[in-house]
Amino acid sequence: MENSNSYSPYSSSSVDSTKPSPSESSVNLSLSLTFPSTSSQRETSQDWPPIKPRLRDTLKSLRLRQRGYNTALFVKVYMEGVPIGRKLDLSTFSGYKSLLENLSHMFDTSVICGTRDRKHHVLTYQDKDGDWMMVGDIPWDMFLETVRRLKITRPERC
Amino acid sequence: MNYFPDEVIEHVFDFVTSHKDRHSISLVCKSWFKIERYSRQNVFIGNCYAINPERLLRRFPCFKSLTLKGKPHFADFNLVPHGWGGFVQPWIEALARSRVGLEELRLKRMVVTDESLELLSRSFVNFKSLVLVSCEGFSTDGLASIASNCRHLQDLDLQENEIDDHRGQWLSCFPETYTSLVTLNFACLEGETNLVALERLVARSPNLRSLKLNRAVPLDALARLMACAPQIVDLGVGSYEDEQDSESCLKLQAAIRKCTSLRSLSGFLEAAPHCLSAFHPVCHNLTSLNLSYAAEIHGSHLIKLIEHCKKLQRLWILDSIGDKGLEVVASTCKELQELRVFPTDLQGGGNTAVTEDGLVAISAGCPKLHSILYFCQQMTNAALITVAKNCPNFIRFRLCILEPHKPDHVTSQPLDEGFGAIVQACKNLKRLSVSGLLTDQVFLYIGMYATELEMLSIAFAGDTDKGMLYVLNGCKKMRKLEIRDSPFGDAALLADVNKYETMRSLWMSSCEVTLGGCKRLARKAPWLNVEIINENDNNRMEENGYEGRQKVDKLYLYRTVVGTRVDAPPFVWIL
Repeated sequence: MENSNSYSPYSSSSVDSTKPSPSESSVNLSLSLTFPSTSSQRETSQDWPPIKPRLRDTLKSLRLRQRGYNTALFVKVYMEGVPIGRKLDLSTFSGYKSLLENLSHMFDTSVICGTRDRKHHVLTYQDKDGDWMMVGDIPWDMFLETVRRLKITRPERC
Repeated sequence: MNYFPDEVIEHVFDFVTSHKDRHSISLVCKSWFKIERYSRQNVFIGNCYAINPERLLRRFPCFKSLTLKGKPHFADFNLVPHGWGGFVQPWIEALARSRVGLEELRLKRMVVTDESLELLSRSFVNFKSLVLVSCEGFSTDGLASIASNCRHLQDLDLQENEIDDHRGQWLSCFPETYTSLVTLNFACLEGETNLVALERLVARSPNLRSLKLNRAVPLDALARLMACAPQIVDLGVGSYEDEQDSESCLKLQAAIRKCTSLRSLSGFLEAAPHCLSAFHPVCHNLTSLNLSYAAEIHGSHLIKLIEHCKKLQRLWILDSIGDKGLEVVASTCKELQELRVFPTDLQGGGNTAVTEDGLVAISAGCPKLHSILYFCQQMTNAALITVAKNCPNFIRFRLCILEPHKPDHVTSQPLDEGFGAIVQACKNLKRLSVSGLLTDQVFLYIGMYATELEMLSIAFAGDTDKGMLYVLNGCKKMRKLEIRDSPFGDAALLADVNKYETMRSLWMSSCEVTLGGCKRLARKAPWLNVEIINENDNNRMEENGYEGRQKVDKLYLYRTVVGTRVDAPPFVWIL
């Protein structure tokens, strides 16, 4: 699909007043064009295309439901130090909160995401590109599109 | 000097209903101004901040119907932060204090609270009609007040609102003696409905013409409702939970057959495809079909339904229908006037559901087409030129190519020529939305040819300030101009300040306009409200030493006769 070399609307923040002007961004975007242009590069924008919130929500939930039937949202979950992992169907969760609650219950320990805490287990995930990332930075439905496996790390590692 | 007594003139004026015409007759002479003032029934206020309730009441003391619009159009796409404004409360308070016998209130993009609805329901004895479109801020408790207190209510029409559903009993708040319901639309409510209360309400409403249900009304309940209301003209179906229940399907089919007045169908939020066929018997009478939420239904089932709809005038559909489906529409729906094709794939992943071919097919097959909204992945100049030739009668033409800056996919050229052909051929064009790769040239064409254009939406288009200038200088009838992510800046903004007095509003977001430029504009035009919306950095605008050159993220300006509004939140800076 043609991808013209100019400003992309699919930026993560639609209210960022420090967004580069179209003329400036063409320099910055040359970096992103070296990556394969897969749909994972396109982050979902809340203000494009111009459709009403109701339709946007309907399509989002439809896509998730379709993914649930066609693509396995089962991911492997490992607790660091434990050789045998578990499998979890992420499509059953409504968001990060319910995921964490479930994991904490499953592994019988407090699992959090985000903050590097010496006391708690921190949840990380491997994304489509193979990189290990902190869970919780990106919107939930974007997370579902990119997550491949989960790892609950020991506190010191992060 | 009048040749007739005032009462006769007033009677003549009764036949003049359009707002524009009423405005014209009020300008003829002082006497006509006075007569028109006192006899004006319907007032339309396109921007609630252009005027205030006190001045409205002074000019028109006797009106019965008020239409108010609040937030700018781009608020529909999450571009206006929560809390920006558009509160209806002061309006209702002022009207309640006055002696206006309000019967109808129509609000669009306004903030409505339960308190407002309660006050509304208690203040106007003859209140008949409440229409809320894209509003927010209220809950089903507010609806309960309306149901309980408005004895003569005929219409309760809730379109695409954000309503806090307390899953309460608002439907049972309509008194048992209440039988005057004509329109009931609660399709946007998320929660469960009290089916028993609903059925009883429908059963005692012989005048019910329009009923639009929400997700929670299952198939067998729908069948019972339709059996109670065979006189229905406009039906919004909720969702079908039980696919397996064929008996319910049969009952539904039997009930539908009796609805010989049914002309408009919508909903199908989670419809089982084989139940869609239950509606085939009434399709030949349908003039309006809205399947834009029927995301679960496969294109082939949609096509089977549409094949029966020979009298269709209005069709709203998802692009899952495909080009083939649009060809079926083109060959079946010869009376089609308005078409909207919405996207299903928001991320532009390459699923080319509808293309330029579908658009061309429609333009060739539907001679009465005058309004179109078309989301697609790709377009060509050749296709647009053909469409322009086939359909010179467009009043509204909105094309949204999902990927910004996308050129003609065959020639890799900008789409300037294609849109140029549209504006040149369509002499009555009032509304236009452009997209794809576009240079200043397209705006030259728009300025030159789109003489009747009143509303223009621009996104990711143009090269220099010249583009915006062509439009501002050329389109004499422009009322609403909304621009996002385009390289237009201060030079274009400031070129002709007086132009904005002839327009309702201008929106510019993610453009090249600077704070300094906006300040200069505000100084030159004190009769404008120049609003800067800056969510992230409340204080940043002041601190930066290069403040004058700081780019403004969102600018919204509008003419007003009542000066700066007092209800602006901290992130809105009115210059």
